[in-house]
Amino acid sequence: MTVIAVEGRARARTDVGALRSVRVVRRRRYLTNIGAAILSVVLVIWSLLPIYNMIMVALDSHSDVLSTHVFPPHPSLYSFWIVITEGYWYLQFFWEQFGRSVFLAGMVVLLTLTIGSLAAFSVGRLRVRHGWLVTNCALLTYVIPASFLAIPFYRLMAQYGMMNNLWAVIAALVAFTTPYAIFIFQQYGRSIPIELDEAARIDGASPVQIYFRVYLPLMAPALVAIGTFALLAAWNEFLYQFLLLSSTKSMTVPIAIVQFLNSDEAPWNYMMATAVIYALPPVVAYYAFRKYMAAGLTMGGVKG
Amino acid sequence: MNRTTRRSVLRGSAGLVAAAALARPYIANAAASTASMWLAQGFVPEEDEAYKALVADYQKASGNTIDYSIIPFAPLRQKAVSAVAAGVVPDLMETADFQFLYLNTWKNNFLDVSDVFETQKEHWSKNAVECCFAYNDVAKKRSYYQIPWKSAAVPYHIWKSLVEKSGQKVADIPNTWDAFHNFFRPVQDGLKKAGMRNVYGLGYQLTATGVDPINTFNSFLIAYGGENIVTPQGQLQTSDPQVKEAAIKAATFMAKAFTDGYVPPVVLNWNDADDNNAFHAKLMAMDFDGTISTEVALYHDKEQYDDILTMGLPLSNEGKQLPAQVNTFGVVIPQGAQNVPVAKEFMKYTIQPEVLNQYLKAGLGRWAPPMPEIAKNDPFWLEEDPHRKAYTNLTLFGPTIPIYEARNPGMAPVGAENAQMNAVINVMKNGMTPQAAIEAAFKRIETIFAKYPIVQS
Amino acid sequence: MTSVSAIQLGRPLAVRRHGLWDYLRGHLKGWEYLWALAFIIPYLAVFVVFVAYPIVYGLWMGHDPALYRELWADPIFLNTVVNTLIYLAVAVNLKMFLAFLLSGFFVRPGWWVKALLIVFVLPWAVPLLPTFISVHWMLDGQWGLLNNLLWVLFGIDGPYWLDSHWIALGSIIASYIWKFMPFWTVIFIAGRMAISPELYEAAAVDGATGLRRFVHITFPLLATLYFVNTLLSTIFSVGDFATPFFITNGGPALTTYTLANLGIRNAFDLSDPNLGVATVMTALPLMIPLVIFMMRKLRTMAVEQ
Repeated sequence: MTVIAVEGRARARTDVGALRSVRVVRRRRYLTNIGAAILSVVLVIWSLLPIYNMIMVALDSHSDVLSTHVFPPHPSLYSFWIVITEGYWYLQFFWEQFGRSVFLAGMVVLLTLTIGSLAAFSVGRLRVRHGWLVTNCALLTYVIPASFLAIPFYRLMAQYGMMNNLWAVIAALVAFTTPYAIFIFQQYGRSIPIELDEAARIDGASPVQIYFRVYLPLMAPALVAIGTFALLAAWNEFLYQFLLLSSTKSMTVPIAIVQFLNSDEAPWNYMMATAVIYALPPVVAYYAFRKYMAAGLTMGGVKG
Repeated sequence: MNRTTRRSVLRGSAGLVAAAALARPYIANAAASTASMWLAQGFVPEEDEAYKALVADYQKASGNTIDYSIIPFAPLRQKAVSAVAAGVVPDLMETADFQFLYLNTWKNNFLDVSDVFETQKEHWSKNAVECCFAYNDVAKKRSYYQIPWKSAAVPYHIWKSLVEKSGQKVADIPNTWDAFHNFFRPVQDGLKKAGMRNVYGLGYQLTATGVDPINTFNSFLIAYGGENIVTPQGQLQTSDPQVKEAAIKAATFMAKAFTDGYVPPVVLNWNDADDNNAFHAKLMAMDFDGTISTEVALYHDKEQYDDILTMGLPLSNEGKQLPAQVNTFGVVIPQGAQNVPVAKEFMKYTIQPEVLNQYLKAGLGRWAPPMPEIAKNDPFWLEEDPHRKAYTNLTLFGPTIPIYEARNPGMAPVGAENAQMNAVINVMKNGMTPQAAIEAAFKRIETIFAKYPIVQS
Repeated sequence: MTSVSAIQLGRPLAVRRHGLWDYLRGHLKGWEYLWALAFIIPYLAVFVVFVAYPIVYGLWMGHDPALYRELWADPIFLNTVVNTLIYLAVAVNLKMFLAFLLSGFFVRPGWWVKALLIVFVLPWAVPLLPTFISVHWMLDGQWGLLNNLLWVLFGIDGPYWLDSHWIALGSIIASYIWKFMPFWTVIFIAGRMAISPELYEAAAVDGATGLRRFVHITFPLLATLYFVNTLLSTIFSVGDFATPFFITNGGPALTTYTLANLGIRNAFDLSDPNLGVATVMTALPLMIPLVIFMMRKLRTMAVEQ
């Protein structure tokens, strides 16, 4: 009986100790959870506040825009209706301009992926001698950032006869997204064993075939990631479109939006409604492809 | 296996490279009867429509075509600068700011259009003549490089209802400079007492961006006797003690209004459109802003439109009538234009008084005509509408001086970096004394002007 | 004699280099090499025509030393340079550091973390122009949403976020972080997830958890990524025209300009494109070392792998 009692007391002691450490762990987890909850709330507010402002102004009626309120006093979808029906003079070509923005983004994506993957393939897989020179040259593009290059670029586009021409903007954007694309493709490509290429080569495949049959399929996540990145870069871009596209017949949506800033009538609700509609495609694209973004953009950047 | 051999692909790629690098796809020759034009987008849709009607009429009358691009105001500036620098220009360009005409004429970038100007020479207002008679540093003389289309002055815009609400009376607005401005202090106090949290009396454009601060500073400078900071011959007079004293007084007055709390603190961030928005939102009782675009923007809201009082300049503190600074904008032909004959023909067409009048009227009268008789002959300008009446009187029928850039283009970079208003801001925010701030600003102005010596002929 | 030296060199006598072509070709057989060239030519074409030529042209535009004297005499130039440096030092590093920390948060399990991530990335996915205009209005001292909220929730009159030099600069930095931090957070998250879990398990067995785990495992593995990303981001940000332009447009009174904005202003508002190019050229002494550094770092990374 004594033994049992002693054992029982010993177990009780360890049980108490275990209980205490469990309580400590539980409290720590409770605090971490509270911390996490607070952080989450902060992040949500932080991320959404300007977007809420955008939507709120879009829902305002005209006279409420500049008044001091937190919720729209008379919310209405009227602004969206105006945008969709092109019912305001700054918006009279809205859908045409929207189409142009889509085309711009689409071509930038297509060209970035094509040119970038071809170059990365050539340098990384075919191992062109001194291929690293190409990659470094590419990164040289970023030495003089895009906004600086705008001035000589503008003048050269004028000489090439490409003013008010969407292709000038496309060319500029492709020139600025491709180096990063090549960089990422090379990084990502390191995780694809070169033996696959060599096996295909032994089987008699030409580089074109290796590119299409071996390289591209395995690079798919990186391609999607860079494609999304290029899409967002094109959609976010402002300066080159501002400088190169100026007539109402060649504008894209960001330039149409900037017109509003010039107006004395201040129809900000229309402007923000335009902005909300303009914001939808990249958001949709991002959320459709977000799985690939993370994987594609970092593979090879970390050892382990 | 594949028809496209590696060599053909290689050749193809190389071919593309060569083509892209060497080709000049720009088609140099427009059809002989088409001229291209860049126009600034108006502030209301009616302005653009008026222009399109003007072009349509011309095309019908002459058989030529005008290939126009209506460009929003801000990008137009960048485009115009770059186009002239690159030498790839349209046949006609509208001047939409204070610098473009004078800086480029200095460098001989525009064609002399005296022949077109002379066709209406007995009709032009004094200001139109002064503003278009620009100095060319290559030819070392002045001539007419711009055809006038529109004149603009800076009136005061006042919300009558706000004045009444504060307990003051519109009829009591004083007529001399300092008293006029100080009138709005009790207006603000009264409005705040009546419960309006965010309202201010004076909408001064104390910012470093845009054209409005230049106008604001100059109006005060002129009011205090510093009108001749640049003489009509283009000489800088910053060493003139009268000019300096006027500038110091101007800086003192404006800075004090700000530090006393009668100017919205946000003005520091304003660009040219923000003051209009703030005024429309009734965030201030008075705005000093060029043209009557403030009112015209509310044209379709009768009640608000009638609630605004448009006023010209008060008298100076000594009771003298003050000259209004007026600018006349118009059209230029850049060097390198492909179709000069049609461009000049179009210009001549548009400056016929009836045509010009029609164009300006269709734009809701936001711009005043550069010809006094248009205003006298058509009741639209002086009789139909009190806003237009005040504005037209201010622009055409009182004493006027041109913008300083017309006298010497050196004022253009000074204005672009807002050296004058920076002095005021230095007093307001950085604790400089007005004397020191104006001294510094004047020194900066002198440095800039050194690059623009005008030979006295 | 020759055969001895050939053997000593370890190279069979018969193979000799036939000049430049063979040298460049390396190990590729003839027709393959043509393909390799063909694949690279599109990029080279884009680079030469749309990057190299404008760069050279720009360098030529900005070569006149008189331009730099003029810049130096501009009263706001020095302030602009300081702003740019502060912007780079604070904004980029703060953003990267927070991104790094938050990436640690976002690898936690749970569906709500994933949902939060979706919301968190929204600022980056939404286009820049309208959101920055929205931020600009939000921060307006008189009728902006932020001050309205502060008044309604806490009864305090918020400061004028854009009207004093330091607060305005802070607003720009905050907006910049708001917009671009999600992108880098995602990159770090992926970086963390690429760390093989066996390492963590091994560490756990050895008793390293929490902070020790971070210091000894996570951080060293992510260090290169962090470093390269910071360099890349700094390079991207020197040319960031849009953020200061839309948030403050240099306000109040041109005190929050960065070099990119000043360059554009000089080029277009002052009608002096050469001066504009010269303005941004002054950033070259900073940019070139950064880029060289990064290229060298990437080269060693390539060699390591």
